[in-house]
Amino acid sequence: MSNHDHDEEQLPPTPGERFTKVLKGKDVQQAFALGIFFTLVFVVLGWKFYPKWMPTIMSTDMKSNEALMVAFTYISAPICGLVLGMAAYTFLQRQRGDTPPEDGPGIRTNGPMVIVWTVVTSLFALLAIIWGIVELNVGSEAAAAEAKTALVVNVTGSQWVWTFEYPAQGIETNELNLPIDRPVIFNVISADVNHSFWPVQLGVKVDANRLETTVVHTTPTRLGPIDVKCAELCGLYHAYMETGGNIMTTTNFDNWVTAQGGHNA
Amino acid sequence: MTTLDHPTSTRPIPNPEKSLITKLHMGTGMVVGAIFAFGTYFWLRSGQDMTVAHNVNKVLLISMFMWSLGFLIGIGAFIGPFRWLIGKDLTAEEQLYLAGDGQGVSRYFRYCTDHKVVGIQYLVGVMAMLGVGGTLAMMIRTNLISPGSKFVTPVIYNSLVGLHGITMIVAMIVVATGPFGNFILPIMIGARDMAFPRLNALSWWVLFTAIPVLCSAWFLGGIPTGWTAYAPLSVQAGPGMNAFVATIIIFAVSTAVAGANITATVVTMRAKGMKWNRVPIFVIGATISVALAIPAFPTFMVSMIMTALDRTANTTYFDAQFGGSGWLYAHLFWIMGHPEVYVILLPGVAALMEIVPVFVRKPLFSYNAAIMGFAGIAGLSVLVWAHHMYMSGWLPMLNGPFMITTEMISIPTGLIFLVILGTLWRGKPWMKLPMLGVYAFLWNMLIGGVTGVYLSDVPADNYLHGSMYVTAHFHYTLMGAALTGALAGLAYWFPKMTGRMLHERAGYISFWFVQIGFQVLFLGMFIAGAEGQPRRVADFSAMYKYSNMISTMGAYTIGIGMIVMLWAVIHSWRKGAIAPINPWGAKTLEWTVPFPVPLENFDELPVITSDPYGYGRSK
Repeated sequence: MSNHDHDEEQLPPTPGERFTKVLKGKDVQQAFALGIFFTLVFVVLGWKFYPKWMPTIMSTDMKSNEALMVAFTYISAPICGLVLGMAAYTFLQRQRGDTPPEDGPGIRTNGPMVIVWTVVTSLFALLAIIWGIVELNVGSEAAAAEAKTALVVNVTGSQWVWTFEYPAQGIETNELNLPIDRPVIFNVISADVNHSFWPVQLGVKVDANRLETTVVHTTPTRLGPIDVKCAELCGLYHAYMETGGNIMTTTNFDNWVTAQGGHNA
Repeated sequence: MTTLDHPTSTRPIPNPEKSLITKLHMGTGMVVGAIFAFGTYFWLRSGQDMTVAHNVNKVLLISMFMWSLGFLIGIGAFIGPFRWLIGKDLTAEEQLYLAGDGQGVSRYFRYCTDHKVVGIQYLVGVMAMLGVGGTLAMMIRTNLISPGSKFVTPVIYNSLVGLHGITMIVAMIVVATGPFGNFILPIMIGARDMAFPRLNALSWWVLFTAIPVLCSAWFLGGIPTGWTAYAPLSVQAGPGMNAFVATIIIFAVSTAVAGANITATVVTMRAKGMKWNRVPIFVIGATISVALAIPAFPTFMVSMIMTALDRTANTTYFDAQFGGSGWLYAHLFWIMGHPEVYVILLPGVAALMEIVPVFVRKPLFSYNAAIMGFAGIAGLSVLVWAHHMYMSGWLPMLNGPFMITTEMISIPTGLIFLVILGTLWRGKPWMKLPMLGVYAFLWNMLIGGVTGVYLSDVPADNYLHGSMYVTAHFHYTLMGAALTGALAGLAYWFPKMTGRMLHERAGYISFWFVQIGFQVLFLGMFIAGAEGQPRRVADFSAMYKYSNMISTMGAYTIGIGMIVMLWAVIHSWRKGAIAPINPWGAKTLEWTVPFPVPLENFDELPVITSDPYGYGRSK
């Protein structure tokens, strides 16, 4: 910036020229390279982390939850890359010594930069908001469509046991068995303090409140064992308030209901 | 402690003869407090059937409040107001005595009105609380080292979780505004003291009385509820819960007093010429933080009063059977709870913003954006509380609106990043200990912020709510960002507060142990959360074995780093190299006063003509 004196032209540079000049700066290019590196790190994280660690996808809800977390990691990767790229570049410029070093350039602000930054972060926030709202609406529309054919399970949390009542089948158990590909509605209530009903692999969750029924629904899409946990601290044996169950074929489910002394509906 | 001991003026030591003030100190406070507490306890219990839980709760709660009241009477907190009642005031000599003039170390154990004494009291108190909270964390992680570990019983484990939570929350709320907001802030704005020096002393000693009350929870059977103390579990809980309830009510009084005092000081006591756009950014951040606490904490206090009434007087605020609701508690709690995390975060961030220009030798980038960032966060933070209740079933149709407000917080948070990065950009940072904290903050806040966006999104929260993932997320923001900011602030202001430089090598060693241990701990916890391990569980199934073991190793690494830090602070305070007046070459006012800082800070009050960020060669 300081070697303007030998320029013969007195005209100030246009914004385009200034922008090109900034892009050609060594600092910008190195920070950009570092930023690409960090972006890739986060992309790999999104690609590998959640699919590797999250449990088997066994319902429509779990599928959209995991897709959303992977997508959000991809979306946030360039932001993380930008922040960490700039930070890492300045970190590499660090200096040591026992007395305060010389002053740097006296840049107080940069209007266009502040505006661009704010607009970009707002756009990202907007994207996250729209995605979430769409998912919410898809979920509630699906619920309305499912209501007629759904299997109803009344879930009661009490210190420190889960009880599942199947009203149409007339049975009550402590294991959560469900038929595959049939929508299920859970009516959840607590007999004492707050609990939170969490069939882990189904990707849904709702608190069990005393004398207030809360509702959550999903459709199991894969056969296999599931875990049911309590996700709200509920006293002494909170950690042990868990049970299991299976997503079964319809035939197996009917047989299980009959074996429990119920009738198939 | 010897460095604090220099005579601070050539005036004769004030000696108001036969004044009660000279005879009162922490010891008399504890004696009177104990007499009040035990007197009340034995007097009340004599006429009660102590097999009924309501009566036990009543007796214990009243005894705890009487301890607090007795302590404050015993230390002389009410001498001034009492004199006003009878139409007098303290004499000038007594006031000088109360300010601790020339009393040496003993003034730290008295009801002292000097803001610098209060700042040191807060610093030592906060370090003690962080030490206790950290030890509890180590015990939690030790119990989770492997599935089926029997290090502690489930009863003790739940108490560890709850008391770790509340101890850390209390400590973190005052970690920056306590020591730096009291010691440094008045000097920064060119004031001779706080606006209300006696209230300043009151805020510290009220907080002090909460500490034994909280500790008594251990002897009364612990608390089973975690620090959120959800009803109806809290109503059902045993006598230890009374200690929690009393602690919160006492603490809320302390924060209200401190918040009003700091806000009033900044509004009214700034030096001549210090217009709002010349105020150091730490002052802005700290003021917004304490001002945000003023409306937030009363709802917590109210929720605890209601809990106390349900536990003692047969009210049914939270009992659904008689028309109450547990959701009512959750609302009151989170209306405090979400502003509260920003009460914790903002002063730490503001301290870092104060540090960056000094060590990069550049002006703070876009001072206005920084203020908009703070104000935007504070404003939005009161509109987001129900994102903690997405899964409560309270009113699912409002999840969408709360998701929108929550995700909007990323916009002012982005401005905070912009200000720090813009200040760093094109500078060559002088890599001292405080500056390392800035880089650790950027990394940790980024992880904490991004994972916060997942959690704010209802579909993802379906899976993540109540899991270890949440625990990891908020430790990244509260510990990784806010505590890192406060520790950087300690490294930065240590020379001004103690007159000595902080041991640099020990500081570096501590920094790397803590930060690396931190990443290991909470990476493990993110994995455990993604795998589906709920929070606050005393035991877990074998599938979470490795992630938990990794976390525990990380926790021990942090523990080692924190012990090194403690050594560095104690050693440097006693024997560190004598600090020059302005070791960092900073331009804020606190670096213009000598050590020990004179009783009224400035011989001649400064006049301000610019903001304190005039670094940099012009282009």
